[in-house]
Amino acid sequence: MEGKLSSVAKNFTPSPIQELSQLAQRCNAINLAEGFPDFPAPPCIKEAAVSAINNDFNQYRHVQGICDQLALKMKKTHGLDVNPLTDIAICCGQSEAFAAAIFSIISQGDEVLLFDPCYETYEGCITLAGGIPVYVALEPPQWTLDPEKLMRSFTSRTKAIVLNSPHNPTGKVFSRDELEIIAEGCRRWDCVAITDEVYEYITYDNQKHETIAKLPGMQERTIITSSLSKTFSVTGWRIGWAIAPASAASAIQNIHIRITDSAPAPFQEAALTALRSPIEYFETLRGVGSGRMEYELKRDFCMKLLGSVGFRIQFKPQGSLFLFAELPKDCLLSDVEYVEELIKQAGVVVVPGRGFFHGNESCKYQKRYIRVAFCKSEATLNAAAQKFGELINAKACPKILY
Amino acid sequence: MATISSLSTHKDPVSTHDATPNITHQPVQVAKRLEKFKTTIFTQMSMLAIKHGAINLGQGFPNFDGPDFVKEAAIQAIKDGKNQYARGYGVPDFNNAIAARFKKDTGLVIDPEKEVTVTSGCTEAIAATMLGLINPGDEVILFAPFYDSYEATLSMAGAKVKCITLRPPDFAVPIDELKSTISKNTRAILINTPHNPTGKMFTREELNTIASLCIENDVLVFTDEVYDKLAFEMDHISMASLPGMYERTVTMNSLGKTFSLTGWKIGWAIAPPHLTWGVRQAHSFLTFATSTPMQYAATVALQAPDSYFAELKRDYMAKKAILMQGLKDVGFKVFPSSGTYFVVVDHTPFGLENDIAFCEYLIKEVGVVAIPTSVFYLNPEDGKNLVRFTFCKDEETLRSAVERMKEKLKKK
Repeated sequence: MEGKLSSVAKNFTPSPIQELSQLAQRCNAINLAEGFPDFPAPPCIKEAAVSAINNDFNQYRHVQGICDQLALKMKKTHGLDVNPLTDIAICCGQSEAFAAAIFSIISQGDEVLLFDPCYETYEGCITLAGGIPVYVALEPPQWTLDPEKLMRSFTSRTKAIVLNSPHNPTGKVFSRDELEIIAEGCRRWDCVAITDEVYEYITYDNQKHETIAKLPGMQERTIITSSLSKTFSVTGWRIGWAIAPASAASAIQNIHIRITDSAPAPFQEAALTALRSPIEYFETLRGVGSGRMEYELKRDFCMKLLGSVGFRIQFKPQGSLFLFAELPKDCLLSDVEYVEELIKQAGVVVVPGRGFFHGNESCKYQKRYIRVAFCKSEATLNAAAQKFGELINAKACPKILY
Repeated sequence: MATISSLSTHKDPVSTHDATPNITHQPVQVAKRLEKFKTTIFTQMSMLAIKHGAINLGQGFPNFDGPDFVKEAAIQAIKDGKNQYARGYGVPDFNNAIAARFKKDTGLVIDPEKEVTVTSGCTEAIAATMLGLINPGDEVILFAPFYDSYEATLSMAGAKVKCITLRPPDFAVPIDELKSTISKNTRAILINTPHNPTGKMFTREELNTIASLCIENDVLVFTDEVYDKLAFEMDHISMASLPGMYERTVTMNSLGKTFSLTGWKIGWAIAPPHLTWGVRQAHSFLTFATSTPMQYAATVALQAPDSYFAELKRDYMAKKAILMQGLKDVGFKVFPSSGTYFVVVDHTPFGLENDIAFCEYLIKEVGVVAIPTSVFYLNPEDGKNLVRFTFCKDEETLRSAVERMKEKLKKK
C-alpha cells in the first residue's frame, strides 16, 4: 500500500542519527552521537517535576509563569520587550515550536532559506508545510557566511530564513556582523527570521549568544524558538517555546493546540523552577566560575581525542554541544564508512556528517565530516579516550581507523 | 509582523529592493487554509468561566487525579534519570506495552517495533496521521460533530473534507448518505468511537457497513479511540479488528482519559508497517520524540489489572447517573450517551437563540460551563441547538452544577 503514502511522506527517509543510534545500541557502543547529556539533570528541577506530579498538576495545563519568566529573560539578556500574555507559545519541545512556526508562516510554494549544513529536520518540516527549502552554503573550514551569496538567494518568493545559532552541527556562533547581514536581507526582502536558539546558553571562549531579534527592525519579523532541553539537560521532557510578535505567536499557539494541544503539565511546572535558576547556573554552562568539567573543557577534551587519531581540526566550536570534524585528508573512507569502522573497532559511535548537508554546493565535502557530541559525563568521555588509546597502542598507528 | 501569509500578502517587487527597513503593521494573518482556526472555543469558555467563577463542566479534563501507581512510576523514572530524548517512535518497553494492551483489547497481534508510534497525545497522533498519509486534494470523510483538531490538521494537509452529519436523537450513521459520499476518490474516513461530543458508540452493524465500503473503494480508516475504556452501554469495537480492516486502519489512542492524566500528553498510533512509515515521518517533524519519563509511567499504566478498568467504569457510571438525571430534572432534552464522559443536550427549552448564546448565559447568569457544539460542525447551524456537558468531575462538583441550574435556569 505504498501508494497510499502522501507525496510528502514518500520523500522522507529515516533519520541517520536515529538509525545509527540503534546500531550503536546493538553494539553497546559509547554514544558520542546524540546531543543529549548522559549525566543527570539538576536535582532541584527533577524535584520540581516530582512535586508537580504529587501535587496533581497532571491535567491539561498552561503555565503562564513560564511566559513571565521568559519575558524577564528576554529583557535581561537581550534587552527585548516581550509581552508574556500575547507573545509566547509553550509547545512540546523546540521541535513542535519550530513546526508550528513553519506552519504559521509558510504557504504552498513559499521559499525558505536555510544555511547548509544544518539540523536535518528543518527541511522535513518546511516540505510538510508545502514550502521550498533553498540552501545557502556556509563555507568550510570556518563555515563562513558569504554575504553576496546570501543576498543572491533571496527572491520575491522568499518568505522566511531559518537561523540556528549556536549552530548544530558545526558549533558556529554567528557573529554580530553576520547577523547584521542576515537582518539586512530580511528587512530588504520583507522576510521572517525563524530562529532555533536551543544552545543559547552554551557558548565558549567568553563569547555570548546574541539573538537576531534585537537588531533594528527585526523583533517584529523574528520568531525565536528554544527549549528547556539543552540548558537544563532534560531533552526528554519536551518543553519548548516560540517567542514572536503577538500576531505570529497567536497563530503558532492556535496551530500548537491542533498538533498536540498542550505540553506535558508536570514539566511545565518544573520549567518554572528551572527558568528561575540563579544567573550562576547559566554562567556555569559557559564554563564560568566552576571547578566541574564543563562543556568548554569537554569540547577541548574531544578535540584532543580526535587529534590523537589523525584529525586536524580547523574549526573550534564556539557554542553548542558538537564538534564537526573533517576526516583526515589521507583517510579514504566516507563519513558513513568511517563511523561504521569506529563502532566496530573502537566501540564508539558518532554521527556521519552527510545528513546535515543538503545543497549542491556542498557535494564535494558532504561525505567528509563527522559530528561528535561532547555533552557526556567525564566517565563516558574518559572511556571513549581509553578505547581510542587502546587502538593506537595495539597497532602503534594513529591511522587505525582508516 | 509583516508577513504571515504569502497567500494574502503580495510583495511589491520594487519596494523589496528598497534598503530602508520595510516596517508595516498589518492585522494578524495566517496561511489561508488555517484562517478559520482561531482561539478555540474551549479556551474562550474557560477564560469566561474563570472570570465568572463558574463550575466547569465544559472542558474534558478530570478535576480529580490519576492513580498513584502511575504517578509513582513517573516519579521513579525522573529520579532514575530517564529524562533525555526517547527513541523517536517510543521507548521499547512502552511500544511493547501498547502492543500487549492492543492484543488484550482486540485479539490482534502486532509488531511493537514496526506498527506502533508513540506521540505527544492522541492529538499529535491525529496530526501525524493526517500529515503523513494524506496528500493535498485527497478526499477525507468526517462525521460531524467532530473534534476540531481533525478539520484543522486536514486543512494543514490540504485535504478536501467531506462531512456527514450524525443527527439526534441517536446520532446513527446515515448509511445512504455515506454510500453516496464514499467513492474511489476517497482517501480516508475518520471515525471516533466512543464519540466526542455525543457519546455515541458506533454499532457493529455500522462498522461492518463502513468496513465493506472502505474495502470496496480502497479507503483508509483513521480511528480515534481515546474513550475506549469509557464504554458504558455497549462493548467498544475497534475497526482494526474487523476482517480485512487492520491493513487499512490507523488506530489512535492515549493515556489521558483512561488514567485521568490528560496533561501528560502520551498517545500512540497503531498501524501496519506501510502506514506507520508515513505516520512516523510526520511525527519526527512535528515533535521528534515524546516525553521520556511519562512513557515509562505509561508502560506501567497499560499493565494495570482488569480491576482498575472496572473501577474506573463504575466510578464514571455513578457520575454519569448524577449528571444525566440532573440535566433531565433541570428541563433539558437529554440525548442518550453510550460512552465517553460527555453528554449532549438540547438547550432550546430555555429560549436562547443558539448554543453560543446559551453557553454565555449559562456561565454569566447560572455559573456553569458547557461547550457549544456548533464548533464541532462544518456547518455551525447544525449544532446550534446542542450543548455538551462533561461528567469527568467529582460528584460534589456535578451536584453543585445541577443545583445551580435547577435554581437559575427557567424554561421559556
